[in-house]
Amino acid sequence: MARYGMALDYKSCINCKACESACKEENGILLGADKHRIWVGVNDIAGIFPDLSIGSSSFEPSQCQQCDNAPCQEVCPTSATYYDDNGVVRVNPDQCILCTYCMQACPYDARYIDDRTLTVDKCNFCSDTRLANGETTTACQATCPTKVRIFGDLDDPTSEISQVLRDREHYSLKEHLGTKPKLFYLT
Amino acid sequence: MQLSKYLPYNKHTLKSFFSFERTPLNMFMVGLSFALVGMLGFGIIEYLLQGHHAYGVTRQHAWGLLIAMYVFFVVSSTGLCIISSMGHVSNIKAFQIIGRRAIAGAIIMILSGFVVLVFEIGHPVRMVIYNVLTPGFTSAIWWMGTLYGLYLVFIILEFFFLNNENHKYSKIFGLSGLIVGLAAHSNLGAVFGFLVARPIANGVFFPLYFILSAMVTGSYLIFLIYGWRYKMKFPPEVEHMLHTLAKVLGLLLAVLIFFEVWRSLTAVYGGMPERADIAIHMIMGANFLVGEMLLGILIPFTIIIISKGKAIKTMVYASVTGMVGIFFMRYDLVHDTQLAPMLNLKIREYSVAPSLVEYIPTSTEWMISIGALGVSFIMYYTADKFFNLDHKESDIH
Repeated sequence: MARYGMALDYKSCINCKACESACKEENGILLGADKHRIWVGVNDIAGIFPDLSIGSSSFEPSQCQQCDNAPCQEVCPTSATYYDDNGVVRVNPDQCILCTYCMQACPYDARYIDDRTLTVDKCNFCSDTRLANGETTTACQATCPTKVRIFGDLDDPTSEISQVLRDREHYSLKEHLGTKPKLFYLT
Repeated sequence: MQLSKYLPYNKHTLKSFFSFERTPLNMFMVGLSFALVGMLGFGIIEYLLQGHHAYGVTRQHAWGLLIAMYVFFVVSSTGLCIISSMGHVSNIKAFQIIGRRAIAGAIIMILSGFVVLVFEIGHPVRMVIYNVLTPGFTSAIWWMGTLYGLYLVFIILEFFFLNNENHKYSKIFGLSGLIVGLAAHSNLGAVFGFLVARPIANGVFFPLYFILSAMVTGSYLIFLIYGWRYKMKFPPEVEHMLHTLAKVLGLLLAVLIFFEVWRSLTAVYGGMPERADIAIHMIMGANFLVGEMLLGILIPFTIIIISKGKAIKTMVYASVTGMVGIFFMRYDLVHDTQLAPMLNLKIREYSVAPSLVEYIPTSTEWMISIGALGVSFIMYYTADKFFNLDHKESDIH
């Protein structure tokens, strides 16, 4: 079994939001500002003209961090949130009672309510729609025009993600919380 | 099988059930109760039509007024249970007379809490099934829910044996209810305290504070219930009980002030992001200053201090402001926990980066939350009609 993770070469992001669209299309995510599994965060240019700080402007594509120690899984009262065999944090909609405790516990705002099933939904690395069919990429990765995303098996030393994480400096979000995220931002 | 053989109750016809003294205050309470239940009904219809879209909750503020009101009710229930246990479990003589009425109140309050919760949890039936089939033992909600279920069973049995004047078993189930209730209630605090992502809530404070504020709430409710029962003309043993309770309440409020002061100072000190900024926002707000502090603590505390606990009639009125304050405490607890956005970057064009998360309860939330008070009033009226909640000689032992 694999242990999937994703590296993001976020400085290459051009905020085209193709990943957001591909995710919605691939996974049938409903329209609406709050209904998204992934997103691109924007750091606006700081300062007042003409003293603008161009360097402060950046884009930060993000999604569920697929934590190895996921707070959302820990707090779920009915074990609806679970780790699958590939280490992906997933939700079983049949067991979710919509108490939304996981939405409180997630430090990344990665969860939302899916109005189709009336349960909490989140990114699952396209486990249902792509990985289950034998594909090895996620929709957001496949569509990215600037190749920001590198998806693969962290336990396989020959995978592209393992190599890039060996070669390049990277950080994860809110690491101090002990969540052990499997999303890595390449610097 | 005759139920009255096992559980003594007063038999009523429909006419005798609805008969009561037509005083202006009673008529007002009848009108208020039906208005509140009507509001609840209207709110439920709105919820059934629109689901959670009828509420003002969002992705960033997933818990709203209904959760606050649920906490309000279960805090009240646990508080009544703790205060009543001082009598028939701890054998403090002054409080032995309140057992039956307080435990009836505790049952009513937790049932009212469940009424609110049913309309907040998306799948309450599924919750009962999977709580058993696939329990999440690391979840504070699982422990809280399971223990509260057990607590309800114990306090119902306690009430049953109190009503049968079986003081041996009422004491056993009273002690069981107290222990399980304390565990359940501190777990409710831990529901917030375990949130590592939210520094303003994370830590040991809430599990302890919940027990303390439950005792304060229970005391206010005892004042209100007895003020209503005797219409301010208290018999000597009740007067003695309320005098003693006022002194206990004074001490509890002093400790609560101490808790609040140190919680605020430790939260602000050092300027830690997502804690200090939220704490400053919180303690500078009217909800905290007027609602929690003035109404909830300072007015009753001042009356107790000035009168040395003797102004029990004034304390009945002060308990109304106290309960309003307690409501603010519950609302602030839920709201302030979610104030800091978990995602600090803007993700939509033509917007700004999120600062504090906004939340305004909708009319549906208000109708269900406040309307549930009507359910409490009607359940209390029914309990008072069917059972002899007044103390007897044999209660004091």
